[in-house]
Amino acid sequence: MKDILILGIETSCDETAASIVKNGCGILSNVINSQINIHQQFGGVVPEIASRKHIENIAMVVDNAFKEAGLSYQDIDGVAVTNQPGLIGALLVGLSFAKGFAWALDRPLLAVNHLHGHIYANILEHQDISFPAVCLVVSGGHTSLLHMKDIDSYAVIGETRDDAAGEAFDKVARFLGLGYPGGPAIQKAAALGKAGKVKLPRVYLDKNDFEFSFSGLKTAAMNLWKKMKGNEELAVFDLAAEFQQALVEVLVEKSLKAAKIYQVDSILMAGGVAANQHLRLLMKEKAGQENIKVFCPSLPLCTDNAAMIAGIAYHQYITKSYAPLDLNAYPGLLSL
Amino acid sequence: MELLVYNENEMEQLGEKIARVLDHNDLVYLIGELGAGKTTLARGIARGRGYAGRVTSPTFTLMNIYKIGNAQINHFDFYRLNHDEICDLGLDDYLDREGMSLIEWPQAGENYLPEEALFINISLVDDDYDRERIVSIITRSREYQEKIKELQELC
Repeated sequence: MKDILILGIETSCDETAASIVKNGCGILSNVINSQINIHQQFGGVVPEIASRKHIENIAMVVDNAFKEAGLSYQDIDGVAVTNQPGLIGALLVGLSFAKGFAWALDRPLLAVNHLHGHIYANILEHQDISFPAVCLVVSGGHTSLLHMKDIDSYAVIGETRDDAAGEAFDKVARFLGLGYPGGPAIQKAAALGKAGKVKLPRVYLDKNDFEFSFSGLKTAAMNLWKKMKGNEELAVFDLAAEFQQALVEVLVEKSLKAAKIYQVDSILMAGGVAANQHLRLLMKEKAGQENIKVFCPSLPLCTDNAAMIAGIAYHQYITKSYAPLDLNAYPGLLSL
Repeated sequence: MELLVYNENEMEQLGEKIARVLDHNDLVYLIGELGAGKTTLARGIARGRGYAGRVTSPTFTLMNIYKIGNAQINHFDFYRLNHDEICDLGLDDYLDREGMSLIEWPQAGENYLPEEALFINISLVDDDYDRERIVSIITRSREYQEKIKELQELC
């Protein structure tokens, strides 16, 4: 059978990304042009700048994806693009480019939900995952636990009631003056401190469900910082370590609990916060004690990328689930 | 009007009361520092309008939409935006259309965002998150003044 080559395009937030993937799992190229340096000046994602930079970058990024793969435009079989959720201006840049590209080449357009892409990042690298499984999706905009019967069939069993984990990382990092993005900034500061020296709450809500709440932890961390300020110089590192520990412990415990209740033996992780080293280590350690396998994408595939988009779209291509050329972009309206 | 709110439950209950005096395309600004309770109050307002689903922080998404039958609530968060970016959002499309709008962090949109609105300011006491919040509700519009009067009777 002929190999199927899909071009994936992703512009939902920080990154302008393009990738070509063969048969849903062979990454031939994976180009990411990050805007994080610009955003660092502002302490967050600035949408207007995000979309302007996407426009400047996209043609070059797509071109590089072809060069890296050693392919010409005509070689690809379909064009996949993220059309939800994300920042609307940013999404529209990728979507419009993808439509033009698909139309000019007379190839089908494939629409991908960014979060489905993140989950699929696991499959790209681990074809040996056995389903059913539990998947923890953690990013700047999401904190959800899914019960997955298969790669394309799942139910949300728990979500955050207020802030997403990545948002809590960003806001606390900014409050402590540690910089942006908050995840890596806190991880770095935490490595210099010690969890437990100061105390923050572990917010489990009801121990028997899979709901999350990080707003209270965020407030507790900020309150502690206000009270500590000026007292001790190194305390910021201990506070960062304790904050990270408090957040990660809850994510790990709820994931394990879900794995037990749903009687699955694999836990998948997805999204930018899944790149957090402490979360990866603690999840593997605790799950290992219960004989549960943990899968997480390699670091470049945790954060936004287009390989996950091209990868999952292969299955849509096979089933001819094409998107129309008048496809729209949807911002934060739809989740999983 | 000004009142003290002692915990998260009370903040939600206040939101539910505020919802009772609002009309379906009113505009509400929620002002207060990180962790003050803006999203909690927004959740209360949404509950009071009959929305039972999740009301989460729109900081990352910029906007959440809650549908209640034919009505809708637009929940914005401009924490990450500056003045020019708010002007570029195409906000008029939402504010002119049907639907109630709740806007967190509206400060950067001063002189651009409409003044005909309910301004709700949530502040800490003694800069301490463990303590109660002072919620003050003001407006420069006569129409909204009537709503504040109604609210005073409910509280």
